[in-house]
Amino acid sequence: MTDKQNAADAALTRALADAQDTPVDAGAKARAIDAALMEFDRVQKKNTESHQGFWQRWRPTGTLTTLGHSIMELFQRKWLYSGIAAASVAVLTVMVAQQMQHTVVAPELDGAQVPQLNGERRLAKKEALELAESEADYTPTEEVIVTGARLALAKEKGKGKEKPASPVAQQLPAASVVASDSFIEIPSQPQGRDDFEHVDENPVKRVVDSPVSTFSIDVDTASYSFVRRQLNQGVLPQKDAVRVEELVNYFDYDYPLPSTKDTPFSTNVIVSDSPWTAGNKLMHIGIKGYQLSAAQKPKTNLVFLLDVSGSMNAPDKLPLVKQSMELLLSQLQPDDTVAIAVYAGAAGTVLEPTAAKDKQKILTALNQLSAGGSTAGAQGIKLAYQLAAANFEQGAVNRVILATDGDFNVGITNREELKGFVERERNKGIYLSVLGFGQGNYHDHLMQTLAQNGNGVAAYIDTLSEAQKVLVTEATRNLFPIAQDVKIQVEFNPNTVQEYRLIGYETRALAREDFNNDKVDAGDIGAGHSVTAIYEFTPLGGKALIDSPRYTPKNAVTEVEAGPDQGNLLNSEYAFVKLRYKLPGAAESRLLEQPVPPVNTINARTRVAAWVQRETDFATAVAGFAQLLKGGKYTGDWSYDDALALAQASKGADPYGYRTEFVQLVRKAKMAQGL
Amino acid sequence: MTAPSRELIESAQAGDRQAFARLVDEQYAVVFRFALTWCGVREDAEDVAQQACIKLAQNLGQFRFESAFHTWLYRLVINCAKDWQQAQGRHQRERLHGESAEQALAQQTAQGSVETLMFLQSVLAWIAQLGEGFKEAVLLVLGQGLSHKEAADILNVKESTVSWRIHEVRKRIAQWQQDSGSGP
Repeated sequence: MTDKQNAADAALTRALADAQDTPVDAGAKARAIDAALMEFDRVQKKNTESHQGFWQRWRPTGTLTTLGHSIMELFQRKWLYSGIAAASVAVLTVMVAQQMQHTVVAPELDGAQVPQLNGERRLAKKEALELAESEADYTPTEEVIVTGARLALAKEKGKGKEKPASPVAQQLPAASVVASDSFIEIPSQPQGRDDFEHVDENPVKRVVDSPVSTFSIDVDTASYSFVRRQLNQGVLPQKDAVRVEELVNYFDYDYPLPSTKDTPFSTNVIVSDSPWTAGNKLMHIGIKGYQLSAAQKPKTNLVFLLDVSGSMNAPDKLPLVKQSMELLLSQLQPDDTVAIAVYAGAAGTVLEPTAAKDKQKILTALNQLSAGGSTAGAQGIKLAYQLAAANFEQGAVNRVILATDGDFNVGITNREELKGFVERERNKGIYLSVLGFGQGNYHDHLMQTLAQNGNGVAAYIDTLSEAQKVLVTEATRNLFPIAQDVKIQVEFNPNTVQEYRLIGYETRALAREDFNNDKVDAGDIGAGHSVTAIYEFTPLGGKALIDSPRYTPKNAVTEVEAGPDQGNLLNSEYAFVKLRYKLPGAAESRLLEQPVPPVNTINARTRVAAWVQRETDFATAVAGFAQLLKGGKYTGDWSYDDALALAQASKGADPYGYRTEFVQLVRKAKMAQGL
Repeated sequence: MTAPSRELIESAQAGDRQAFARLVDEQYAVVFRFALTWCGVREDAEDVAQQACIKLAQNLGQFRFESAFHTWLYRLVINCAKDWQQAQGRHQRERLHGESAEQALAQQTAQGSVETLMFLQSVLAWIAQLGEGFKEAVLLVLGQGLSHKEAADILNVKESTVSWRIHEVRKRIAQWQQDSGSGP
């Protein structure tokens, strides 16, 4: 009997031990981590929100004794059982969690918690599972790429406490969390006051009514970073925060470099099938600027204008600003100069123009900054321009780089006035780039306006890896313009195209006559920059959204009746694309023209270079995703899954992992949508 | 199964997303494997593990370093596993398994060839119907290799209770063996 007992025991123990050796499924693990992180973000958010409410009074404080706790427990239990708990899920969660801290095994309370939260949780899990299923080659390494870069960078800097993370969480030194055995006081943080301009999406237009579409190129990327930040927190961004062209242009596209030096950029027009509307086509206009070699880089005189007002006192603001500026410093040539001006309650010069080779001096000045006071942004801007003007050099790049959370609450707050000022300085040759930081009080519209009028880039920096992208990887394109006031005008051919719409670029629309008016400002292209614009159009004979009018002038009727003449090349073209640009500093613009014949079309049947299909597909995926985030007015049944599949298939080499990150974002958007 | 550093837990509690991600990443294997011994089916165990990770996100703030992290974590996973069990309404199925457990155990000891998880599932189902707390005690002590004291901490019972449960299970397994050994 003893032998048998041992044998049975051994079998059980062995089976249990075997189970302990079972390998963990990487996909399941990744799903669990994703789901947990989503919940984590939700809890963090909820903590901040509920903190402001009446219910916080019920939380025990650190001064309570063990007895106090148990009284509190009883008290809370009573509330729970009396059904008041049903009044608010948020409050219930906090209270139950609180109650559980000392009697962790409390199944009956668990049960109470389940009905309210289960729906949400199950949904999240279901979503996660569906997602994982829909994307067979998902591996957890993707997650590592996205988050790993930040961690690694933060470590590299050796400043653990300054590493970017959620603003709420980071405000607390870890020590205080442990010390108080209770709810933790979180300094109030402006929430939900991010300011975005509402712009209606470009409508569909009939070619017969308005055959010409004109816009300025846009090289900003701020919208993408903001959207990413929101999605990483598990919420869908507000629709106005999504600017399609900025999402599309966040990515570098592998268009061919210009073949000759005569034109500073190459223009590539590619027509593909629209994935969301059968029969429709997408026309991609891709522009790629030439790359500067190190020797060609002009001398650079920079003035950092840093916002050190009280609102910048958050780990993802001033500390990140400092780190970003350090990164930028590393990209400068020894004889380039840097000056630093700051503004808070008052504006002041922290560092007179100093050569970049004197790095230690610049770093010391940077590191001494601390945040406090209100924001006199306008005075700061004036001071920065004075510094730039004092150090002005013809032929060099003279640029003010403004780093702020966009809260200009003292001094000149009139946007038009600021805009006019920046515009005048631009004409003198001093440009402005804007780096946006932080969240909760972000004045996107103002940042946009300033950068657009200052011939600069508006970028939103939410993490150190984004700073790395904007200020190191893409430093040349953001610092050195190679073509200015780049405008695009497209004329569609009524013989082949019924309707069209420009996807995105709403804030960049120009009047038809502005195209040939060199006084009208437009976007700039930096060295090595790529810019993409996409039109969706319905060829003649396709399903039109706009009904044909019953009454048409006689001459127009004959034109339509004539139909496309196969023998006539002109009549088979889809459109005619015109570009105007100025060389840096030039007053007169140059014109580039290019017809779009049907032969530019690519689809599964055409054989083209690999980059054409890949880059076109990826741009399409991003544009589609952005439209979905904006509500998907024109995208029909096309879903996040389709965006995911298309982006996944067209990631290409992706040396910096940006496209992989995009795939992650689509997945997060899908999850956020499910909640 | 290394315990996470206090520093890591504190960062995660303070809201550091990266720290939390690392914590989950490190602890997932422990959670999953415990869930696996509980559920006996990989897919179910993955569900429970995911649920536990979500719960970890909700409740981590309440961990006060008054016990070892793993003690706390096991409690959380056990709660999740029980929730899951209730939600699945598996009681009936378990009873059915319980009937065949005898056979499975006999086979396993005789040949050692029956698929381990199937065997485990049926034996544990049988253990579970011995009474409240038996399955937990067996999984923690025999499965996770914890001491009776540690298991008692997790289950919030006296050490002697755990000892008694383990002893009882062993005794019954032996009895069972004897019966089946003498039977057909």
